[in-house]
Amino acid sequence: MREEFRLLIGLQDLDIMIKEVKDKATSQELKSMGFKLTGLEELQEARHEIAARIPVALLNRYEKLAKRYKLAILPVSGDKCLGCFVKLPTSFFSSAYSHELVTCENCGRLLYILRFNQ
Amino acid sequence: MSAIQEMVRHLEKMGKISDEQFIVEMLKNREHLGSTGLGKGVAFPHGRSLAIKQLSVLFARSSGGIDFEALDGKPTKIFFLILAPSEEGADVYLALLSELISLIQKPSKLDKLMQVKDYPSLIDIFGGNED
Ligand SMILES: [Zn+2]
Repeated sequence: MREEFRLLIGLQDLDIMIKEVKDKATSQELKSMGFKLTGLEELQEARHEIAARIPVALLNRYEKLAKRYKLAILPVSGDKCLGCFVKLPTSFFSSAYSHELVTCENCGRLLYILRFNQ
Repeated sequence: MSAIQEMVRHLEKMGKISDEQFIVEMLKNREHLGSTGLGKGVAFPHGRSLAIKQLSVLFARSSGGIDFEALDGKPTKIFFLILAPSEEGADVYLALLSELISLIQKPSKLDKLMQVKDYPSLIDIFGGNED
């Protein structure tokens, strides 16, 4: 997979984490379990570092999608986009795209085909 | 190899995650937020990522214990690694996390976890309702 896509997926994982900490109910729940959530600034610093390594056009596209949707990048499950549930064209599953992020033509989200062992 | 990497590699071999490096990075970031080593020799590294297939828990034990920057400064001997797909809400894994944390509050359960040798006896610890 192309490095810029790897970075973008890492960025989204980090955004999920930051959102959880910023969400009062979630962070309260984690704190009540005994977790200390003191390193938010470090996470934001890590986010900044990753974002700086992503080409601007791709980053802007992600940020725009992230504002509109809960998740800008989604895994592909079956033959549908998990965001809008529209069936994806068969060409999408050709090997040419197996290591790429592809855009859902219906909703614009970025899609990634997950590969698992077994 | 770090404890996190070793556990994640195992899950990749089992087909539970699609990319070791994504998960290791995500978990390292989570530790930066604050150690998930809650003390008493137990840690609960956790998080969500696009590269996770389904909610998974991995139990691992280090008989000697390792430094995981636990809140009480003691070595960590037991790990519950909890991973959830990013498209699932936080609620599912938080509920699981909370249940596991309550389990280790029971001294008899914790003692047994420290000794457990195989999967059936691990499941017994979760199912058994003494004390
Ligand atoms: Zn879509």
